[in-house]
Amino acid sequence: MNAPSARKATPGRLAAIIVTLLILLSPFLWLLQMSFKTNDQILQFPPPLIFTPTLEHYAALWHSAFSASFVNSLLSASLSTALALLFGVPAAYALSRWAGRGKHALSFAILVTRMAPPIAFTIPFFLFYRWIGLLDTITGLVLVYTSFNLPLVIWMMQPFFDTIPVSLEEAALVDGARTRTVFTKIVLPMVTPGIAATAILCFLYAWNDFFFALILTRTNARTAPVAVVNFMNYEGWEWGKIAAGGSLVMAPVLIFSLAVRRYLVSGLTAGAVKG
Amino acid sequence: MLLAVAVLPAVYLVVTSLTPFQLTTPGSATDFSSPLRNYGLLPGDPRFVNSLWVQAKLSCWGVLFQVLLGMLLALLLNVPSRFVEFARTFFLIPMVLPPIVVAVIWKLIYTPDISPLYYAAQALHFTMPALTSSVDFALTAIVIADTWEWMPFTFLMVLAALQTIPDEYSEAALVDGANTLQIFWYVTLPFITPILVISGMFRLIDSVKAFPLIFLLTSGGPGTVTEVTNYYAYLLAFDTNEIGYSSAVTVVMLLLVAGISLGLVWMGRRREAMG
Repeated sequence: MNAPSARKATPGRLAAIIVTLLILLSPFLWLLQMSFKTNDQILQFPPPLIFTPTLEHYAALWHSAFSASFVNSLLSASLSTALALLFGVPAAYALSRWAGRGKHALSFAILVTRMAPPIAFTIPFFLFYRWIGLLDTITGLVLVYTSFNLPLVIWMMQPFFDTIPVSLEEAALVDGARTRTVFTKIVLPMVTPGIAATAILCFLYAWNDFFFALILTRTNARTAPVAVVNFMNYEGWEWGKIAAGGSLVMAPVLIFSLAVRRYLVSGLTAGAVKG
Repeated sequence: MLLAVAVLPAVYLVVTSLTPFQLTTPGSATDFSSPLRNYGLLPGDPRFVNSLWVQAKLSCWGVLFQVLLGMLLALLLNVPSRFVEFARTFFLIPMVLPPIVVAVIWKLIYTPDISPLYYAAQALHFTMPALTSSVDFALTAIVIADTWEWMPFTFLMVLAALQTIPDEYSEAALVDGANTLQIFWYVTLPFITPILVISGMFRLIDSVKAFPLIFLLTSGGPGTVTEVTNYYAYLLAFDTNEIGYSSAVTVVMLLLVAGISLGLVWMGRRREAMG
């Protein structure tokens, strides 16, 4: 038997890791393989493990209202990410240079917006949107996601700015550069990797949202996660479409998660460690 | 600005909770004639009391399993190896998937006609009870799905803690003749106890957000067996139109969550102070 505290990559342990991983991921893999089966194959018993993959469900989704929902998801997630960065990055820079005033308010905002159950925000947003006519609009969704991502952007970006020596900026100022130029030409390029990682986390947050989209949209601004659920209706569940739709909804998440592995941890546990 | 994101909706929510607001009743949003009526109704509402109890069961079992399994997984994967480092990312998949896709995946597993779980049971001539529609098993089914989704979080936190333990400690213990279990119990466990507590606490606070799972798997049923407070508040506001009363339920839920969080932080401080 391998000692858990003795840190050795023995073949036995590697095998155990692989088996555990397969068991853990099997529910997820089952959904994925189902999206490539015909409806007959989905209902067949025993389930065929080897089959000729079909793209019929994906094609059906392409020609259905689902594609519009997918575009809605893309739009609301990317617009809200852009807005949150536009306001959040300069704010993080300012906070970093002003010796961390406002950090307390920031931790509070992060904690509240990330940890309070969404229903606590949906009722006020729903009533307010109903009043000013923002229900079932992309604008409405974008505003919600932006306000939730803003604290995250500031929270994630501030440490990046903290690592840039002030002397570097002072040198540029002495050389005659303006404050604005210093920020755009010197500071920003140095934090690009941080911005990219933060952007992806913001995008994922908006993309993954189900609750706000469920309440604040009906048909025009319906997002992909809500559209997937609509394939489960009273006439019966269209499992092929559900599987294909689910796979499409998780595709960007998987791609981005692999791309920002290193930053994923700090983003997912935001507020957990420092808060 | 930051405070506005968190505070304004909360104020609005509290104001609404003081009214008998229903969308269908004109003027009810500004009727403050009996502001505490909603709160007075709460203790006598069996569905509300039941929902707190359901939430407590769901949270306790979920957190227990997530912390234990996350710890075991972290111990297994805490080896210096390129391959294992690469594999770790895949263990995070359940946590980064859109929550609604997680719910769809488990819907699939719990639906007899197409579920690999029921296929396996059938092949072994074992009669699998209907999990999500049974009074005895529905909550367990939710706990299992919730554990699958969030175990990676505790895994991530514990792994980070494990990696800060210097190898010399367990090596010294090994030289002194300690066996694997003794090393775990006397060297590793004391080291990671704080992080076990912290990640458990964060999962506990976050566990009120299991909405998509409950929405899709059981809709709170059968009866009210899986109706957590969050879901009850959702039904009240967006199904039966009792927005004022739902706000009151949400406010109480928020206060409970905040109270538990503060209590846990206070306990953490006290522990530290006592050394």
